[in-house]
Parts: sequence; structure tokens; C-alpha cells
Amino acid sequence: MNWSLILGITITIITAFTVGMFYGGISRKVTARIQNRVGPPIWQNFLDVLKLYSKESAIHHGWMQHLGPLWAITASTATLMFVPILNNGQFYQNLNFSGDLIFLMYMMVFGQLGMALGAGQTGNPNSAIGVSRGLSQMVGYKVPWLLALVAIMVQYKATSITGLIELQNQIGWLMFASPFAFIAGLLAFIGMMHYSPFDIVFAPSELASGPPSEFGGKYLGLMMTSGSIFTFAKLVLFVDVFLGGASNILELLLKTFVIYMIPVIYGIVSPRYRTEQSIRYFWGWPTFFGVIGMLYAWYMIS
Amino acid sequence: MMNSLFLLLFILFGSAILSYIGHRISETLGNIIVVVGAFSASIWFFVGFETPAEFSYKIADFDALWSFSSYSWIFAALVSILSPLALLYSTSYMKGKERLGTFYFNFFLSILGMIGITMSQDFISLFIFWEIMTWSSYLIVIYLGKDVEKVGIKYMIFSAIGAYALLMGIVLINREVGSLLIEDAFAYFPQIQFSTQLLIGILLLIGFSIKSAMMPLHVWAPGAYSNSPMSYTAVFSGALSKMGIYGLGLVFIRLLSSGEFTLINEIFAWAGAITTLMATFYAIIQDDAKKLLAYSSIGQLGYIIVGVAIGTELSIMAAIYLAILHAAFKGNLFMAIGAVEKQTGSTDMTLVTGLIRKMPLTFFSTLVSIIALAAVPPLGGFVGKWMLYQSLLASEHFFLIIVIFTASTAAFLYSFKILYSLFLGQEEPEFKNIKEAPLPMLIPMILLSLFLIVTGTFPGILFEPIANGMKYLGFNDVNWNMSLLVNAWGDEVNLQHVSMYIGTIFIVAFIFISLKNRKRTRYVTTKDISTSGEIPLPHENLSFKLNFYKPFERAISPVMKKTMDSIYDEIGNGLNALFQFIRYIYSGNGQGYALYVIIFFVLLLLLKNQIFGL
Repeated sequence: MNWSLILGITITIITAFTVGMFYGGISRKVTARIQNRVGPPIWQNFLDVLKLYSKESAIHHGWMQHLGPLWAITASTATLMFVPILNNGQFYQNLNFSGDLIFLMYMMVFGQLGMALGAGQTGNPNSAIGVSRGLSQMVGYKVPWLLALVAIMVQYKATSITGLIELQNQIGWLMFASPFAFIAGLLAFIGMMHYSPFDIVFAPSELASGPPSEFGGKYLGLMMTSGSIFTFAKLVLFVDVFLGGASNILELLLKTFVIYMIPVIYGIVSPRYRTEQSIRYFWGWPTFFGVIGMLYAWYMIS
Repeated sequence: MMNSLFLLLFILFGSAILSYIGHRISETLGNIIVVVGAFSASIWFFVGFETPAEFSYKIADFDALWSFSSYSWIFAALVSILSPLALLYSTSYMKGKERLGTFYFNFFLSILGMIGITMSQDFISLFIFWEIMTWSSYLIVIYLGKDVEKVGIKYMIFSAIGAYALLMGIVLINREVGSLLIEDAFAYFPQIQFSTQLLIGILLLIGFSIKSAMMPLHVWAPGAYSNSPMSYTAVFSGALSKMGIYGLGLVFIRLLSSGEFTLINEIFAWAGAITTLMATFYAIIQDDAKKLLAYSSIGQLGYIIVGVAIGTELSIMAAIYLAILHAAFKGNLFMAIGAVEKQTGSTDMTLVTGLIRKMPLTFFSTLVSIIALAAVPPLGGFVGKWMLYQSLLASEHFFLIIVIFTASTAAFLYSFKILYSLFLGQEEPEFKNIKEAPLPMLIPMILLSLFLIVTGTFPGILFEPIANGMKYLGFNDVNWNMSLLVNAWGDEVNLQHVSMYIGTIFIVAFIFISLKNRKRTRYVTTKDISTSGEIPLPHENLSFKLNFYKPFERAISPVMKKTMDSIYDEIGNGLNALFQFIRYIYSGNGQGYALYVIIFFVLLLLLKNQIFGL
């Protein structure tokens, strides 16, 4: 057995969980302050998850529902494993070298598919509506996200994240080296975080929180855990690709926090889009910047 | 001792006739003959060929040669694996249908056609087998007698266009090269005049790409795929459409290899990509599972066409790999949908609901194939898509990759729809007594699912024959590893690490969530949900099925306005108007015709000097 690998995986997951949970707490606090409320303490999410884990479920709707949250946590931790947390292997390496960006893009959908299937079996119409919206929106934001990433991959001839980080140590952050790709990527990223105006999947006042609406107890706890780990993984991925990664934990926290706050702050002052508006939004300006970024990359290599 | 190639065709033809006779006598006897015939042909194919077998003869002074090249062997193997499974499935699926003898006769003939195409080393037998395949598949498309005018005629017309294009290309090759052997054509092709080369290339490409349903030549496919019995569609979409890919590979890599034809490659790659995107959009808005899968087949073949048309080492490898995988997962999906149809009597996704507890194994195999189709790791489909994207990145087709990646993301929409609508959602009292599909239908599905799971971690088992076959196409040292993917820039994906990680975490999390949880909970029906205090009555089904992706439809509506069908309709209307005009000349009036004859003779008299030179 490779104990250091197992230790690394455990510590990485715990770190991601803690950071993701705290960020969630902070965003709740910030939202509350802007809406002139006191808001919950920032460790409220921990209390929620602990409570959920200590609960016992009384009912289930079948095997697929039982497996759904499981599937989600497998996918979100798997995503985390292939993203380098810190530069130059200062943190545990986990499986950083066993996957690349294209692999990650597919891996990130794995969990959503599982969650969607789990939610589907509950038979709650709100869950199905949420899933339908979520998948539709995914096609929306994937287009600019892809344009941004492909522009970077072709310009620097690397699809591995570690390769991109090394490159940024030499030429500086890609945020400045490929500005248009960065803008497209950032706009797509806002959609990926599912904050308002893109919170059409969970839409609390409309769909009774959508896909998770029939989940409780451990199931919901696992889903929340997976959600916070996934948030952290996405943030680190974004920082790795565009902001040159981070050389220590503090720098990582600073960078990820700044990126995290963009969708949060933007969301607080925005009402919710309808699904087709959301899709068309992503196929508008973000895609335009993505195409410019691509042409820029093309110009740079030829 | 009979030639082993000849014997293979003989077994297939014999099975065709015997199963026809057997089914006239009794269904059980017929089914036994079908299964024995199919498996013995397949076993003979894999075991009987110790040395490279050859069989040459003459058809009316043309040299003809049968032999498997390492490239065509891949496709023949595909047919030989998929078709016995589909026939085994068929014995149960087609139970109680009429005219089974005709059905199996044509089924075997189309297998014979496909095997024949792959073993033909000359164009004339290729064309003959191509026609056998087309005609037998046409007879199965109209076998159920549904929409014969619309679907059957469309399929016939497009097949005829393809066949004529192919025949013209072959005739031109014979005129220029003086031989119909495929090898000769490859050898002497560069010496032909450029314009003739171009013409031959385009004619052959049209002929082959019609069978692989490339836009704008795809309009026959949705109807033909969904109208045939599902047991045949599994082969139709899984193997028969790959014959087009086989031909495209030969034409693109061996014939049009000189580098002057990059424009054609680009056009076909883009046509493939647009096929993928549009077919995926159409699949999303379908409400019938068969139609959905039919469009999805067109879409998936689009990826393969892209891979073949790009023509780099990695892209060809990806294309052949995807062709094999597509046969496995789409064959599996059509079989699963056939099982649902058999058990419930419908494939309408707005009617059938909540089958997961009734048909768990069918659900499992559908799930596995869907994950492979959607290219989600750790199943086999991911490997092919990964290689395709990497080859596009390395060959600098940036916008192409965006189009097909978008299509691949949109494929999640219909993937989920088919799983959710048929198997999940609220259960319906109407489907209370549905049983799992019978064993002959389950065995092929489970086998194909296992194949998809294994290729996710060890795609090397397929890379080996593919690398062999690519030697025939001129790629001599193809790099492949058992479970490691490497791109042109040295970035890699280690599939064993991926599967091991996913497997471990899945088991750990499973133990965690099942401990003290699953046992103590009790199952409640899907009607027992939170509905804000409102209790749905037993006959009320709250499943959200109708217009499942309406918002997405609205978002993509601008590109969906004009279909290829309507464009062909307009061409048809234009031709109609032309023929209406011709009817004024052929008025049906005898006196008018007499007048034409007189006018003709008068003209002849007046112009006799100019015409006959008298």
C-alpha cells in the first residue's frame, strides 16, 4: 500500500472540505450584510453538515437515489485529485500527473450525471425540472469555457495543468498573457458557480431547491460535502490555469477567495435569469470574447 | 478442402436459406438455426483463419480477389461480434412476429454483405456485396410495414444515389487504371490527371458517406433506424453504418493521400462536425426513444467522420476506436430500448416511466452505454473522445474542436433524458406488472456492458488490432499502451489510476452511506414526495416529461428553423414544377403527338444537309 498517497488524498479532501465550507459561510454572511441582516456565523455550514451526518434517514426511493450522492462525492473528490493544489509539488501530489484538462472537463460532469440520476428516481417534478435546467445551462457555459481553455491549450501546446503552471512561472500569469481567454473563462466560471443570476438549478423560491429536494440526512450531508469540495476544486483549477497557481497556502486562499467573491458579489445584486436567457447570455458576450481569444491564440502561434 | 473465405460466406448464405426454411416449419426450429448459424460463422471467422487466406477468380474478364487486410479485418471482426449477439437477442425480441423467415433471411444476407465488403480486395465484388447489403437492409426497413412510402423510399433513393456514385467512381477507376483491384488503384492513382482524381475521390466519398449518414445526406437515417426492428437496428447502426467509415478510411488515407486534397479533408471534417452538432440538437428534442437514438447515431458517426477526415495518426486511431465503441454502446442501447418496447409495448418517453425497479438489468446496461456514449470516464467512450480532441488540438483544428466538444456536452442532455424518462420518474400503475426482459435479450446486453467497462481501463485490447490495421493504411509505428493515453505534447492520462481512485472512493463512500442507513430506511413509492402538502391522487403522475428541454429548444430555435428535409422537399417541389412543364409537351393528346412527328420530319428535311452531310 502506498500510505503517503492515501495520507495525501485524505488531507487534500479535508482541506478542500474545510475551505469550501468556510467560503460558503462567508458568502452567506456577506449576502446577509448586504441585505442588511445579521446573518449566520461563518461556521454555520459546519454545524449544518454535522447535524445532517448525525441524523438517520427513515425512507428511501430506491437504489439510484441511494447511489446519487455517492456518485457526486466520488466525482468531486476525483476532480480534486487531478488538480495541483500548490506549485512545484509543495503540497501532496495525489494524482496530478495522471490526468489533463480535457480529462478534467469530462470528469467534472460525472458527478452531475450521478446527482441527476439520483434526483430523477425520487420522482419529484421539481428535481427533474432542476436537472433539465442545469444540463441546458451547462451547454451554455461550456462554450465560452471551452473556447478559453482551447485557446490556451493551443497557444502554449500543453493540456496538462502542471505544464501550464510551469509555463506561467516563466511568462507570468495567463490572465495577462491571454487576456481575452481569461475574460471568457471568468464569465463562464461565474455560470459554473451557480450563483444568481445563474441559480436556476436550485432556485429556492421557485423549485424548492430543485434536485436535492427529496434528499435528507446523510444523503444531503454528503451532497453538501461534495458541493463544497467541488467548489474548492473548481476555484483551484481556475487559479492554476489563469492566475499562475499558488506557492503557499495563504496565497492560494487569497487568490481563490478573490475569484470566489466575484460570482457571489455579482449574484447578490442580480435577479434570476430564465433558462433560455441564461443560455443565450453565455452564447453572447462570453463566447464573443472566447472567439477573440482563440483568434488571438491563432495569431500568436502563426 | 474449401477455401476458408468461401466457407465463411457459405455458412452465412446457408444459414440464411436454412433459417428461412426453418421458420416456415416452426419458430423454435428457425431460432435454433439462426443462433447456431450466426455463432458458427463468427467462430469460424475468429478460429478458422490460421494463415492469410486468399481467393481469386474472374468475373467477365475482371480480376477479383478476396482476402482480409489487417484494416478490413477490424471491421469484419466488429460485424462478427455484434451480429451473433444481435441475432441471439432477436430470437426473443421477434417472438410471435409474422414472416420471420423473410426477416432472418435478409438479416443473414446483410451480414454476408458486410463480411463480403470487408473481404473484397477488388472494386467489383465490393460493389456487388455493397448492393446485397443495401437491398437486404432495405427489405428489413420496410419489413414492419410502417411509413413505407416515406421511410422506405427515402432510404432507397439515397442508397441508389450512393450506389450510382460508387459505380461511377469504380468505372472511372477502371478506365484510368485498367484494373479493378483495390491495390492497383492505390498504386496507379497518383499518375491520373488531377481533375479525374478529384472526380473519382468525390464520387467514392459520396457513395461511402451516404451509408454513414453524413449531413446533408443523412435524411434517410432517422426513419430507417427507428423503423426497423430494434434487433436489426443494433446491427444497422452499430455495424452497417461502419461500412461507410471503412470506405471513407480507404479513400481518405490511401487514395487521396497526396496532400493536394486537404480542402476535401477539411470540408468533410466540417461536414462531420456539423452533422454531430445538428444531430445532437435534433436528438434532444425527440420524444420517441427510438428516434432519439437514431439521431444520436448520426451524431456519433459525425465524430468518426471527423477523425477519418483529419487523417493524422491519432485521429485515425480515435476514429477506428470510436467506431468499435459506437458499435458496442449503440448496439447495446438499441437492444435495451427494444427490451423496453417488448415489455411495455411503447418507446414513447412521455408515456413509459419508472421502469428501474421492474427492469434493473436493462437499466444497468442502458446506464453503462450512456456513460460510454457521453464519454464520461472511467468507461471506454472517454478514451476515444480524448484521442480525437488531442488529435484536433495537435493538428490545429481549433474551431472544429469547439463544435464537436459542444455537441458532446449537449449529448448529456439526451443521454439523461433517455435514462430519466424511461427508467426513472414516478411509477405508473399501468406498468406495475412489467417483468425484466427474457434471458436471450439480457445476455448480449450484459456482455456488451462488460466490454464497455473493461475498455475504460484497458483500451489497449482494442489498440492492438487497430495499430495492426493502421499499418495497412500506412502508419507503421503506432504508439499505444495498455492503459495509458499520451498526446502529441507528452501530456498523459493514466486510466488505471483513474479507475482505481474512482473505484476505491466509490466503495469507501458506499460503505459510509450504507452503514446503519440503507437497512433502517424503508422504501416509499415515488408518489410519497414533498409536494407542499398537496397529495397527488393514485392516477396523477407528476413526472416532468413533456417538453423536457423546452428552454433549451427556445435557446437553439434559430438554427432549427430549416431542416435538411425541408430543403429536399423544396428541391422536390422544384422538380415537380419542371415535370408539370414537361407535361405540357407530353399532353397525352394523340393529335399533338402526330404534330410533333410531322414537325420532326419537316425539321429533318430542312436540315438534312447539315445533319447527314449530304
